[in-house]
Amino acid sequence: MSIKVHIHKSHRQFTDGLSVVDSNGKTVGECLDNLIKRYPGIKEKLFDKKGNLLNVIEIYVNLESAYPNELIKKVSNGDDIYLTAKLSGG
Amino acid sequence: MLTQNDLERYDRQIMIHEIGKEGQEKLKSATVFIAGAGGLGSSISIYLAAAGVGTIRIVDHDTIELSNLNRQILHWNKDIGSKKACSAQNKLQTLNPDIEIQGGDETITEENISRLAAGSDLIIDAMDNFPTRYILNKYAVDNSIPFFHGAVKGFEGRVMTVIPGKSACFRCLYKGPVPEEKSPVIGVLPGLIGCIQATEVIKYITGIGELLSNKLLLYDGLEMKFTILKINRNPDCEHCGHLTIQEDT
Repeated sequence: MSIKVHIHKSHRQFTDGLSVVDSNGKTVGECLDNLIKRYPGIKEKLFDKKGNLLNVIEIYVNLESAYPNELIKKVSNGDDIYLTAKLSGG
Repeated sequence: MLTQNDLERYDRQIMIHEIGKEGQEKLKSATVFIAGAGGLGSSISIYLAAAGVGTIRIVDHDTIELSNLNRQILHWNKDIGSKKACSAQNKLQTLNPDIEIQGGDETITEENISRLAAGSDLIIDAMDNFPTRYILNKYAVDNSIPFFHGAVKGFEGRVMTVIPGKSACFRCLYKGPVPEEKSPVIGVLPGLIGCIQATEVIKYITGIGELLSNKLLLYDGLEMKFTILKINRNPDCEHCGHLTIQEDT
């Protein structure tokens, strides 16, 4: 099973510059765990010290918002997970 | 009623089949509230003024600094030290003397938003922080007027149009407070994102096209890529969760 995780530009320094990383898992959370095992540096950019997804992070699955309860959202082979970050500038 | 001067000034957009004289009259009759006269507010207000939106109210409490000038094209070197609201009002009124420009040198708060936005047909987000955006979104939802969100950072921007009672609102994506930061930004970015917001406003006022409602448009300037993401209304949303969603007929 392969799930593509699309890495936000600001996080690619932690994925060897890769914009898309193949992962696997039955949920978004499992796929992110798998991503973090391979690229541990990205963890603190996605989660706080208690393991909660940071408020600034938004997750989309197949171009649709996965909010709320993003981490338990089920995914299947061929799905795309997009990690984005809220912007505040104007 | 359009004047002969209006017909000449707006000729190229009146020629657009979807706008015509009827659409131009709608623009002339409209009152818009622009929250912020910085990077986004500059491009939004310039193009709405040029398009003939009848009344533009633009509010900002800031003073112009040298470091603003890479992107805030309403303000020039000679304006450093002046208030943004005053500079914006003067420039926009000079650009188009046939419309009404109202500048407001105030900080937008929960207490004064009703007064500042009174009589506006819609609200345009040109802010640089989340707390004020939520004040604007709530006012828009409570008063059933559209809210046009835009935000920028680096080479990346986003746009979303909120139609209360019909679409997800800006608060529907709220997960909790986000740390404030000083955003880096390439100067052309708020120009482009502001133009997209202004396009949404013109479409809404004239009743044409398809809006970015229930959608989030992401722009990546480095890869020159636009992505449209689907946004879902949150039934537990603090701002719009109580509304009954109206389906388009």
